[in-house]
Amino acid sequence: MSATWRLLDTGSLPAAANMALDKVILAARNQGIVPNTLRFLQFSPHCVLVGYHQAVELEVEEEYCRQHGIEINRRLTGGGNLYWDEGQLGWEVFARKDTPGIPVRLNDMYRLMCECAVAGLARLGVRARYRPANDIEVDGRKISGTGGTESGDAFLYQGTLLTDFDVDTMVRCLKLPVQKLEDKQVKSFKERVTCLREVLGYLPPMEAIKQAMAEGFAEVLGVKLEPGKLTREEEQMLAQELPRFQSEKWTRGTRTLPRDNCLSMAEYKTPGGLIRVSLRLDRTRSRIKSAFITGDFFAYPERSILDLEAALKNSSSRASDVLKTVREFFARNEVRIPGVEADDFYHALYLAINRTGDENEQVAL
Amino acid sequence: MRAGKWQIPETLFYSHDNYWVKLDGDEALLGLTEYGQSTTGDILYLELVPAGAVIRRGESFGSIESGKWVGSLVAPVSGIVMESNRELETSPRNVNSDPYGEGWMLRVKLHDPCATEGLMDAVAYQQWVEEQVRREQEDEVVS
Repeated sequence: MSATWRLLDTGSLPAAANMALDKVILAARNQGIVPNTLRFLQFSPHCVLVGYHQAVELEVEEEYCRQHGIEINRRLTGGGNLYWDEGQLGWEVFARKDTPGIPVRLNDMYRLMCECAVAGLARLGVRARYRPANDIEVDGRKISGTGGTESGDAFLYQGTLLTDFDVDTMVRCLKLPVQKLEDKQVKSFKERVTCLREVLGYLPPMEAIKQAMAEGFAEVLGVKLEPGKLTREEEQMLAQELPRFQSEKWTRGTRTLPRDNCLSMAEYKTPGGLIRVSLRLDRTRSRIKSAFITGDFFAYPERSILDLEAALKNSSSRASDVLKTVREFFARNEVRIPGVEADDFYHALYLAINRTGDENEQVAL
Repeated sequence: MRAGKWQIPETLFYSHDNYWVKLDGDEALLGLTEYGQSTTGDILYLELVPAGAVIRRGESFGSIESGKWVGSLVAPVSGIVMESNRELETSPRNVNSDPYGEGWMLRVKLHDPCATEGLMDAVAYQQWVEEQVRREQEDEVVS
């Protein structure tokens, strides 16, 4: 007989309430006062969320957010900055670490959780797939990002599902590697993400999306989902925690070092065409935070460049490591680009990483 | 001594949360074991409590981020932090590449002279890691 989990739908809430609920349900699960839970969540008003270790001033266009009523908050989970409009659906798993079938290794856990969402999307007619480490994509375009955290013997794993997405606002309210780029390149950047409406050609009712996702999780995890509500204890804990998550101290509470965020671009001419590279770099930790690669070359398979960007995300920016990442990527994926070699991409990346005098406004912090 | 491909130095003590403790009189050096870092993956951020902080066994002494996962660092002993490895804030990968060397996390003045109670010696930890690996393999077969 399969185990029974609680299915919770907390509807649309402000960012602070949703973040506080993450803390509350995780604590309640750790204390053993609630069962394993799948939660659906939405945000209203729209908001920007930074990852637990990120600094708001380095990740968010705060003035734009103020002008457009976009709330800013910080997640308990890791990863990068996110824009949540009111059309997105969030899903979250709260469970004991010793739940049968939950892997010990984090990479295995990411895969399992993403496979649940992939199964849900399949029920909607979407052929999505897991892309390591934490993304779900459709034909190379991201439709869901995920992340997690833990407390004692319990964990929280959460993801977004882009249902109908305002990508123009996302590009304006987040600090992304598109500043200083031309319109054509910004358009190309926007094509890195997709949403249900775009993939299906229509947007199914939200209830149908939730139903399909819930069935996907139940199928992959081998559990039965029983609709439930927050318990009285959780409501009381939420009332206690909410002021903290509404405070600037929480949102800006990270101790991330300053001067660790810069934008750097480079162009490199090859026989097969021009490679343009735009990187967000954490120079303090020698890390590529995100990469955006365009050019007038032709890559086969077409999605290779998107996958290369994913492979470079959060990788080391040390020259020897970059060379290894690029070469291994080309070898593993049998990428063919007429007139362009793997080492040409390394060279373009190297130029961007070692470029000086091109740091953005973060230097002034 | 090894458990599979993971090194387990014989002179250290170990917690079930995969931290090692090196005793030196009433002080201890501590960090994450090689097996522990392998289950966590490539570490992107690390925050440690500063020198002067009081840590208690089983409670958090900082946070760690790998992939998009944020985890707590769980103290294997109780005491006062004498030194925190600030180098890890800028080079968190040292925990992956050199867990028993440059990846050390805290130097602690111990509260309790019997600090090793509840910790495993290298032989016990080796058996414990092997048991974890067996469980992982069983999970893989099931899935």
